[in-house]
Amino acid sequence: MPIVKLLRQTKYQVIAAAIVIAVLLLLWKPEILIEGIQRSSLYAVIALPMALILGVVGIINLAHGDFMMLGAYTAYFLAVKTGIDPMLAMIPAILAFFAIGAITYLALIRPVLGSPELNQLLLTFGLGLVLEELVNLLFTSQPYKLSVSYVSSSLTLGNFTFGTFEFVYVLAAVVVFIGLHYFLKKTRLGQSATAVGQNPRGARLVGIDVNRTYLIMFSLSIAIIATIGVLFSMRYSVFPLAGAPYTMKSFCLIAMAGIGNLIGILWYSALLGVSESVITAIPGAAGWADLVFFALIVAAILIRSYRQRVK
Amino acid sequence: MKNWKWVIFAALFALMASLPLYTGSYFLHTVFIIMIYMSLALSWDMLVRTGQISFGIAGLFGVGSYASCILQAFNPGLNPLISIVFGAVVAGIVALLLGLATLKLRGMYFAIITLAMAEIFRVIIRNLPDTWAGGAMGMVLPNAIFNGDLKLTYWMVMAITLITIIVSEIFNKSRIHFAITSIRNDEVVAMSSGIDIFKYLVFIFLITSVLQGLVGGAYAQIYGSVNPEANFAATWSLLPLAMALFGGMHTTWGPIIGALILGLASEYLKLLLPYGYLIVYGVIIILVILFLPKGIMGLIKRFTEKK
Repeated sequence: MPIVKLLRQTKYQVIAAAIVIAVLLLLWKPEILIEGIQRSSLYAVIALPMALILGVVGIINLAHGDFMMLGAYTAYFLAVKTGIDPMLAMIPAILAFFAIGAITYLALIRPVLGSPELNQLLLTFGLGLVLEELVNLLFTSQPYKLSVSYVSSSLTLGNFTFGTFEFVYVLAAVVVFIGLHYFLKKTRLGQSATAVGQNPRGARLVGIDVNRTYLIMFSLSIAIIATIGVLFSMRYSVFPLAGAPYTMKSFCLIAMAGIGNLIGILWYSALLGVSESVITAIPGAAGWADLVFFALIVAAILIRSYRQRVK
Repeated sequence: MKNWKWVIFAALFALMASLPLYTGSYFLHTVFIIMIYMSLALSWDMLVRTGQISFGIAGLFGVGSYASCILQAFNPGLNPLISIVFGAVVAGIVALLLGLATLKLRGMYFAIITLAMAEIFRVIIRNLPDTWAGGAMGMVLPNAIFNGDLKLTYWMVMAITLITIIVSEIFNKSRIHFAITSIRNDEVVAMSSGIDIFKYLVFIFLITSVLQGLVGGAYAQIYGSVNPEANFAATWSLLPLAMALFGGMHTTWGPIIGALILGLASEYLKLLLPYGYLIVYGVIIILVILFLPKGIMGLIKRFTEKK
């Protein structure tokens, strides 16, 4: 039996366990599974650009979630001031944040590329703080919430109900993942980005403009994350610290999947999202759901350091 | 030359110790708050000297305050000083466990773990039964330490700051210094010189966390209360970090100078920008990293060496 053989590998054991859990959940409370998948997609789509920056530029961007927060504020004010559908705010957000990403890269990231990791971490930490506090100064810490009619639409199947708008995050995750995959494998720029990520010196030797690749990839990631911020603002309220938890959750996914493993991020975001929804659904335990990512990140680090013997 | 240095130290010590005898309570309060930040900045810097960065000062500070406050609340007759030490011990245990788990994979993994720490403890405190840790409302002790006597409080904070300075100097002057510096500069060289990097990192993380827990415990006893928002506030990580960075990393004097300047500045800033004054610290962090990675101490060194 080939299936039995396959099950000897850890990878397939994990997949089999995931399928079993999914089926059990589907039988027990389907809305938890659906809610979990929607949540996971949001995590995945936020983590993907962070993984891209880390994989190609080699910088861990601690201001990642804060750029999403900025995108969300952009959408909010565009929608309120001009009356357009917030969905349409994605177009100006992409352009504006590509430029903002480029400026950030040239002014802040590029000067510290050769510095010790410590300085890079401090710099992006400081940047995140400045973004949060700038928004706090301009708009106070009061939460803003868009009210869009179709966001609260829901679907009732049999005797359970779930929101339908949240599937936009699933769609976004699929689009971003497939787009990035195609981009990195098939286009010239994407291939050179992969090469730069693997070995910047080697890439430079074969004639790739490393600096330009860094610039484009960083700006592109910021543009993606801000666009996700637009979608975020339609469903959740935005406030200065709205993005900060996503920085840590994104890093948690990257730590579990390993740097450069984009598909792994999808699997592990499903693990994180579904476990959070399950815990939220248990009466009296909802508050503990915020600890799941921390437990996962510590577990991932433990497994990594003791199994692979890194140094 | 050497004696001359000691005379200055003695004079400074005498000046600081006698401060409560002739200054007003507002000034005294400002000075001891600066000292609290100074101890945190210095303890943060001790870990940075190994090349590891912790964003978790607030987490350990908060654990120290909560542990000491809880012990005191359940044993009202206990000497608060014992509770403060208990806070330090608990922070040390937390750091030991986290360090053992995460310091094999260093750098950004450790940094993010510490970044999440304050938030994690805040979630735990909020979710614990209210009778244990006070929940979201926090807890209030019947009595502040020394019944709120400002002079004694000041001397206690000064003693803690002195302990931190002495530990920092021991780290900088003894053999450990060479181990720390070589781990920071080149781990491979450190390893081939027979340094057990993991052991050193866990040990230093433990010591610095005990100091941060000690400060946290003292803070909780001084104000006689704790709550999740105030004692795990991001400012407890942020200000010490900016101070140490501004003054100059990897030195004892850097964080002290940084804490003095930024501590005094923050009193003024709070009045100027009541909301969002933290942006100034973010800007300072960015500017220092970009243009002055060695801080004020680096500037001083550059000018004195030229002459």
